[in-house]
Amino acid sequence: MGIEGKIVEDIVKRFGDKVRAEVQRERRVKFYIDPINIKPLLYYLKEKGFIHLSSISCVDWIKENQFELVYHLWSYEDKVHLMVKTKISRENPEMETMIPVFPVAETYEREIYEMFGVSFPGNPNLKPLFLEDWDGPPPMRKDFDTRAYVREKYGMIDLTEILRQGMDKIKGVRDEDEIL
Amino acid sequence: MKTRYFEYFIGPQHPGVTGNMSYHLWARGDEIVKMEPSVGYLHRGFEKLMEQREWIKNVPMVPRICVPEPDVNEILYAMGVEELAGITPPERAQYIRVLVLEMARMAAYLFYFGGVAGALGLYTIPQWTIGDRDYILDRFEELTGGRIYHIYIQPGGVRRDIPEGFRERVLKLMDYLERRLKDYDRLMFYNAVVEKRTKGVGVIEKEYALQMGVTGPNLRASGYPADVRKDDPYLVYDRLEFDVPITGDGDIYSRMLQRRLEFEESIKIVRQVLESIPEGPIMVKLPHPLEWKVPQGDVYVKVESSKGEYGYYIVSDGGVKPYRIHVRGPSMPHCFQAAKEKIVGMRIADVPVMIFSLDICPPDIER
Amino acid sequence: MSVKSLFSPLDAIKFLFKKPHTVRVPYEKKEPATRYRGVHVNDWEKCIGCGNCARICTCQAITMVPIDTIEPKPGTTNLRPQVDYGRCSFCGQCVDICPTGSLKLSTEYLIVSPNREDYVFIPNLNRDSGPGTGWESDIETHLLKFDKEEMPERLPEERKKDFDPVILGFADEQAVVEGYRCLGCALCVDGCPTHMFIPEYIEKIREAKYKDALDIFFKNNPLPEICGIVCTHNCEDACIYSWRGQPVQIRYLKGFGASKVGNYGEVIKVDKEKKIGKRVAVIGAGPAGLTLAFYLRKYGIEVIIYEAYPEPGGMMRYGIPRYRLPEKVLRKEIEFIKSTGVEIKFNTKVGREIKLKELLQEYDAVFIGVGFHRGLTMRIPGEDAVGVIQAADFLRDVSMGKEVKIGKRVIVVGGGDVAMDASRTALRLGAEEVIIMYRRRWVDMPAHEEEKREAKDEGVIFMTQTLPVEIVKNEDGSIKVVKYVKTRMVDRGGRRPEPVPIEDEVYEMEADTVIQAIGQRADYSLLNEEFKGKIQLDERGTRIIVDENGMTSVEGLFAGGDVVNRRGDIVSAIADARKAARGILKYLGVR
Repeated sequence: MGIEGKIVEDIVKRFGDKVRAEVQRERRVKFYIDPINIKPLLYYLKEKGFIHLSSISCVDWIKENQFELVYHLWSYEDKVHLMVKTKISRENPEMETMIPVFPVAETYEREIYEMFGVSFPGNPNLKPLFLEDWDGPPPMRKDFDTRAYVREKYGMIDLTEILRQGMDKIKGVRDEDEIL
Repeated sequence: MKTRYFEYFIGPQHPGVTGNMSYHLWARGDEIVKMEPSVGYLHRGFEKLMEQREWIKNVPMVPRICVPEPDVNEILYAMGVEELAGITPPERAQYIRVLVLEMARMAAYLFYFGGVAGALGLYTIPQWTIGDRDYILDRFEELTGGRIYHIYIQPGGVRRDIPEGFRERVLKLMDYLERRLKDYDRLMFYNAVVEKRTKGVGVIEKEYALQMGVTGPNLRASGYPADVRKDDPYLVYDRLEFDVPITGDGDIYSRMLQRRLEFEESIKIVRQVLESIPEGPIMVKLPHPLEWKVPQGDVYVKVESSKGEYGYYIVSDGGVKPYRIHVRGPSMPHCFQAAKEKIVGMRIADVPVMIFSLDICPPDIER
Repeated sequence: MSVKSLFSPLDAIKFLFKKPHTVRVPYEKKEPATRYRGVHVNDWEKCIGCGNCARICTCQAITMVPIDTIEPKPGTTNLRPQVDYGRCSFCGQCVDICPTGSLKLSTEYLIVSPNREDYVFIPNLNRDSGPGTGWESDIETHLLKFDKEEMPERLPEERKKDFDPVILGFADEQAVVEGYRCLGCALCVDGCPTHMFIPEYIEKIREAKYKDALDIFFKNNPLPEICGIVCTHNCEDACIYSWRGQPVQIRYLKGFGASKVGNYGEVIKVDKEKKIGKRVAVIGAGPAGLTLAFYLRKYGIEVIIYEAYPEPGGMMRYGIPRYRLPEKVLRKEIEFIKSTGVEIKFNTKVGREIKLKELLQEYDAVFIGVGFHRGLTMRIPGEDAVGVIQAADFLRDVSMGKEVKIGKRVIVVGGGDVAMDASRTALRLGAEEVIIMYRRRWVDMPAHEEEKREAKDEGVIFMTQTLPVEIVKNEDGSIKVVKYVKTRMVDRGGRRPEPVPIEDEVYEMEADTVIQAIGQRADYSLLNEEFKGKIQLDERGTRIIVDENGMTSVEGLFAGGDVVNRRGDIVSAIADARKAARGILKYLGVR
């Protein structure tokens, strides 16, 4: 049982069935946990040597009506990469800020707030980051159609329709009258 | 009327910034009291664009995320998709990929030297480094068909094989660059002006760097030997011999010297690769270019770029298009944590030098 | 480190005589590398207008535009790619997916113009930088797989001893891999005579949705598994892979998909009892007749087929040997068509048991699908010897199970598929030596390549440029020797070369049986004197002329199959029958 197995054992011993662990391959381990328990888990992992927060990713699972937040942690000593995953609801999405644990989280949370609309109460700096004078919904959500927005706001021609008509000319004989 | 602080706006078009980014500075006299980076001039929305195209159609788009070193994005995308789909590219392709990555690293370092020296006002060095970088771009043009955006590495392998005579020309180029390094040493590193302006300025301590997400040569310059090529080996780096130097002071001079020492290591790697490259095929064909469904799952892949740890988090739901690709650029913590906090207390004239020395690249902050 | 000595700046003298490496005076133009990716170059002769470059372009820079001056060959279109250089990123993926290799990126990269329109154009060969330069399409580094999955088949030495099937059928994984080669560009649909919806059904087959695939087959073709084994695959000849590699095996994929559905009745619902009061007679239970019957039954028309032979199938049963088309496949598909409510009267030949005129009076419409069952003779002296037989009769007798004595050495005259079938059947009946005599060369033989190869592998001997001229008989009428001459080829321009006999040398060969397989015609005895003037045949009297509804010059009389079309295969018969079905439905006012 390599180092990944030992880490899994340690966490499962400490947190019991609140956490579910999965070893994907060498140097990659995933943890699945509820939003309430994530801060103690991150504090514990930081003590164990996972001091580097690479990034926080957000995935929009629109069909299940949830957002998934993934915290990517790396330990310089054990050389293992962890992905700590939690799911929050898509209506009024909210997650407490991890700045007390990892100060770097400030900018990552700021980006997720802007792109997905997930608010992080406690984060003092949730100002717009990339988008200036943005008047639409959070753009990285799956229900935001970039083409429709451009068409409405700027009145531009959509090239996809022209291309699709061109491709239909190639499609061979499709005379519906022929079908009996 | 009393003015307390003087507000400067080092804007997006300025020789003192590394790309299209701007800094909002508040200064009292000659001393900075606050710095706010302001990004958003290069936001092209890549992550959303990549969700709307099939897997193979993302290959020409991906290098455009990072302009100085595009190959890192290509290799990350290819590695991520290969891990999800269970494809193993052939050995020869892995060696060629290492060659391309190391040459890209050298080109990026040359660009870096030019940038830092330019911020200091010594414009001979950018003239030299851009000229020498052109020779590396000529080799890329011969191998891949394009100078800056190579679009050469795709999931499954690489697109074309090494042409005739390429090996000899690259070895000759390595010899040339080694000779030139001595000139750069004398011009840049044994230079009293550079030493006076950069030693002891902008110090980032090791503990701070580890906590604040500083990675790559900046972390090694602060004294911690972490290198993704050694810690989380990918491609064939575990079979190649190279050192990871550290210069421990953490100031601007250390960061410059760090990259200078790593330049030599890259030359060593390129020579080893060209010597031991095996014969064989260069790509594995994908089942169907347009209707290929990658199995469900998610992976995180990372490489050591010239700026730091570059990572991709790819999520697939079993469809013909990616579900989510999250790009982790190395410059975001450098800019928003390290630069922002360490610039406080510096002089105005040292701000561009500090920004350049951290190698902050706006395209990969904003993608 | 500080300055070493006072003289160290003098080191800069080494730069005094160095050549500048950026801009040189006088100006030297920098040559791009051999592999540089510049503007597009397209060879309009090689380009087939498949549109795959437009489908893979990630910048949506390519549009397919019709060109009026191009006359498309069958299997190609007259569309050509138009590139918008405001969007193109010069990635070269369009080149890597072009199946014929006509598109390439040259090393030219300068387009300078004050007009915006000059940056959107249809590339032709104008800006080419020469062969071997630029980004070219190469089979090994191509995005497509040009090699097919090999269909497993039995070994020649083993299979020539019996009439069991030669083809073993795809394994499930092979069908998925082969199915994934299909790009979905649909140029094959034009190649198929009955325009089956090929990309749609291949997509269903590779996802293992066989019942959906069967539904798509039956829109155009009620005999999918039979066609899936023995079709002449005009679709594969039009497939984009056939230009530089091996086409997608559409035929075998169709056979695989159809073989996975045991009971067609679960998927294709035709009401057996439905009757709308119209009656149609069909002459001949071959592919044309059966197809027409199926499509008319869907509309509730009562169909009665008059078949002269004892079993249904026509040429499918009596022309194609059982080792190529197994009995159980024939039975499965024909039984399904019968189960839709079609009545077949066997051993009833129109012209003998019943007259055509009576059929025209009794039924609302009549369809002639009698096929070409009468062989042509060589017209040489001695061909009335005992042992000189027609290939069509020979194959029919073997299929009926009759015993045919052929002796030890059999000579088959002819070079088409029927000659291949006859020679391989003769081997299986125990002949020791089977020789095919053909008057032109191997490459001129009209038989399909795989038939020729399979015959050669089984040990059939081919004598090309050989023409029999006389058969010498024994006293009892059997064959003594066959006299033949060699021919030489005379070029005739675009047509097949003329075989001119070399009269000087006449050779002799002993033989027990001579099988004539030089061509077939129809038995038009059903068109007795009453119809001779009314029905319009072509100028040689070989085929019946029909209009675009499948109707002959006689009111209410339709025709299709070998008696109408020039291609003479099963799928063309099916296409003719569908055309006639549309015509009959229109004629009867049903649709």
